Amino acid sequence: MNVNEAINRLKEIQSTTNACVTIIEHDVKTHEGVLSDVPIALKDNVITKGILTTGGSKLLSNYIPPYNATIVDKIKQAGGIIVAKTTLDELGMGGTGTASFNGPVKNPFDLTRQAGGSSSGSAVVVAAKAVDIAIGSDTGDSVRKPASYVGVVGTKPTYGRISRYGIIPYASSLDHVGYFTSDVRLAALMCDVLSGQDKMDHTSLPYPSTTLAPQLHDDVKGKVYGIFKEVLEAIDHPQTLKNFDAVCKALESKGAIIKTISMNETILRTCLPTYYIIANCEATANHSNLTGVNFGLTQEGEDVETIMTNTRTHGFGPLIRKRFVIGSYGLKDENQDKLFRKAQKVRRVIVNEFNRMLSECDGLIAPATTSTAPLLEGANMNVLSNAHLIAENYMVLANFSGAPSITVPIMPVDGLPHGINLTCKIEDEATMFQLALAIETCVKEGL
Amino acid sequence: MKRDVVIGIEIHCELKTNSKMFSASRNSINDTPNIHVNEIDLGHPGVLPTLNKRAVELTLRACMLTHCEIDSLIKFDRKNYYYSDLPKGFQITQQFHPIGKNGLIEFEVDQQRKQVRLDRIHMEEDTAKQYHLEDETHIDYNRAGVPLIEIVSKPDMSSAKEAKEYVSTLRNMLIFAEVTDGKMEEGSLRCDINISLKEADSVQFGTKVEIKNLNSLNNIEKAIEAEILRQNQLLDAGEKVLMQTRRYDETLKTTVAMRSKESAVDYRYFPEPNLRPIQLEQAWIDSIQASLPKTPQQWLEHLIELGATVIEANILINNKSLLDFFIEASKEVKDVRLALNWTITEVTSLVNIMQEKLFEMVSSHHFALFLNCISDKVISGKQAKDVLKWMSESGKDAQTLVNEHGLVMVSDDTALLNWIDEAIQENPQSILDFKQGKDRAVGFLVGQVMKKSKGQADPARCNALVRARLLEQ
Repeated sequence: MNVNEAINRLKEIQSTTNACVTIIEHDVKTHEGVLSDVPIALKDNVITKGILTTGGSKLLSNYIPPYNATIVDKIKQAGGIIVAKTTLDELGMGGTGTASFNGPVKNPFDLTRQAGGSSSGSAVVVAAKAVDIAIGSDTGDSVRKPASYVGVVGTKPTYGRISRYGIIPYASSLDHVGYFTSDVRLAALMCDVLSGQDKMDHTSLPYPSTTLAPQLHDDVKGKVYGIFKEVLEAIDHPQTLKNFDAVCKALESKGAIIKTISMNETILRTCLPTYYIIANCEATANHSNLTGVNFGLTQEGEDVETIMTNTRTHGFGPLIRKRFVIGSYGLKDENQDKLFRKAQKVRRVIVNEFNRMLSECDGLIAPATTSTAPLLEGANMNVLSNAHLIAENYMVLANFSGAPSITVPIMPVDGLPHGINLTCKIEDEATMFQLALAIETCVKEGL
Repeated sequence: MKRDVVIGIEIHCELKTNSKMFSASRNSINDTPNIHVNEIDLGHPGVLPTLNKRAVELTLRACMLTHCEIDSLIKFDRKNYYYSDLPKGFQITQQFHPIGKNGLIEFEVDQQRKQVRLDRIHMEEDTAKQYHLEDETHIDYNRAGVPLIEIVSKPDMSSAKEAKEYVSTLRNMLIFAEVTDGKMEEGSLRCDINISLKEADSVQFGTKVEIKNLNSLNNIEKAIEAEILRQNQLLDAGEKVLMQTRRYDETLKTTVAMRSKESAVDYRYFPEPNLRPIQLEQAWIDSIQASLPKTPQQWLEHLIELGATVIEANILINNKSLLDFFIEASKEVKDVRLALNWTITEVTSLVNIMQEKLFEMVSSHHFALFLNCISDKVISGKQAKDVLKWMSESGKDAQTLVNEHGLVMVSDDTALLNWIDEAIQENPQSILDFKQGKDRAVGFLVGQVMKKSKGQADPARCNALVRARLLEQ
């Protein structure tokens, strides 16, 4: 796929999917490298010098940044060409793709359905074959879930593997740079391109870039795939279960060992509320810079305080305002012990339990979602059901612990895309891509 | 009624680093506004902090000098509030785990030893500087993110004099350790004074008033005295002291209210997720301890070893720039005593006129070369005064100025005797005066020779030769 084809295709799908905030026609190659002349899309929370970066928020709808995210420089050094900034749920918050200031993102396979979120547009541009690579970010499952809904590979390496410098944050301790690719080999290559310690990100891992792509193979003889028992039990869609089972059998026929692994269900059910508290508390502080004083869509006011209040009231959508109220409440002096600090303690308990599970296998697998992408209108689920609390939200475990995690598309459910999620031990992307490639091979071979 | 005064002091002190606390921008607050600013200092979306190692090192020095317990696991927290001088909407500070705790400072007040305990020393970042004009506010972000330490004392002081001496001692200590430039008038060292009165011997503390923005040691003393008076008068009249933040008004000579502090602000502190906790290596801490710069007391002892009197040594340790200038020069000079004399007299008077500018014009190396010109009798002491003045005006070295002005000291006997004989012939009376025991005749003749030689005659040699000649007559 060349750059012109990519731009034409992006324009073609824009009116139906609303995948892009900005289509970029003027970017040129500055270096030669493994991505020479490869068109790449960026989620619009990736800071690009001189190019509109909105974070999906009206408040930043006029923001032209003065610097580049570290990963933008890395993509340019590898020869890549930036062709689009894609639509996201405002500030990365939300899992539906319907909360951006520029309108909802639609699933290219069924325009009445969501593409998932928050990295909605990036998922769509790869699914619609406009580009083979699109950058996203993943705080709860914001890359790995939309990947399942649109049938592309969605990867989130270990926390700190890829620099977060220049990514408009959601929740710093949970935010990961992730990306969508058309296949697993490209996913391994992108890890090599984007990874490496960054002196601008104090939480980045102290290692140079990975070199996984050249060594990648799909021999899984003797490798142990752990099946996440409670997630499977919380899913009642027969085809989802049938497809998953077929993949497991195919892996077994390649010599892999399939083993069921269980997690304490009480701990598992705490994941979502724990996530909401930590994420909203961190988010409310992270976005305190959005006041309209130095940048952004400033509103009038007779003094600084009024300018700030008006700018934020006018600039944020209702969902964001709700989350900021929850976050501020959780951080209040009188609430911190029972909310924020407690959530952090619970997070440690969850992570210990999750690491124990990962120690019993080479990779933990489960369907990435209970079934296909929800409808844009009227898709509500019982929020206290296990289907919601566990099966729809368990992927946040890899954000809590920082473990590398990938969604690989398998066979369709009800004629729509669907994927398997695989999570491996911290820093072990090598095994993750190997186990993922074996899944991809099984599916390609028709199982 | 007799009341006790209770004073505690918080000092904010800007660290003398090259770059800012969490960004690579230059730390230089007095330059043209907004030139030392990057996306981090402006709190743009997507930025992350990185920690300045030198700032940690300087903070450790402060902790060591004040005998704090050091927490070698460095952690930071966010203090959340909205204000236009705080672009991120939060300040990165050390609320929960300060790097230093339970320190102690000793000093003398009225020949009495006084100890003040420190509650904590912690690192944080400075805010931007705001200039409020009539109907607009200007913001200078050069100061945003400048490394800062906050030094919090226990309420161990009970008079204005003690408070002033505490700040003065601490400030000098930090300046000597090169932790800060300590310039109160420029705000690089700022004091907030907490002051309350309580009934003598009561355990119940009175209502606390905070005085902010004190920009000199003298104002600290004046402000506290004024505030003690104000609170006493209120209490005598049966009124209540309100919990307030006040400032000292120099023209009114009293403190005035800035805002009430009735309800405490909830800053919603929580651990900074973008900086991992950092375990400092003991070896690094030890190396900082081992290489601590000399304290003022240690300098005093060193200067006395070099031959300074106590008075001279005190002059030098009260001006760190002057001390550094002297010490550097003293390493190169042939005569340290000569260096001391010139530093204490001529250099000090030039500093009074030119302030720090002098040290920009005259390097300590040039000063040393200049002193060696005197020792080598290239120039006379009289010429030397002019040469030093020219040096301070031109930035040139002594030898260049000697050449430019055609100055040489004549020590050659033949040349000197020619002038001496001429002078004696022109003033025969001086021979008689000398024989009658009037020693000033010698001085008079030397003066004549200096005039004839246009100041180039070596006065010491000239003196000896005049004396010898007169005895021969």
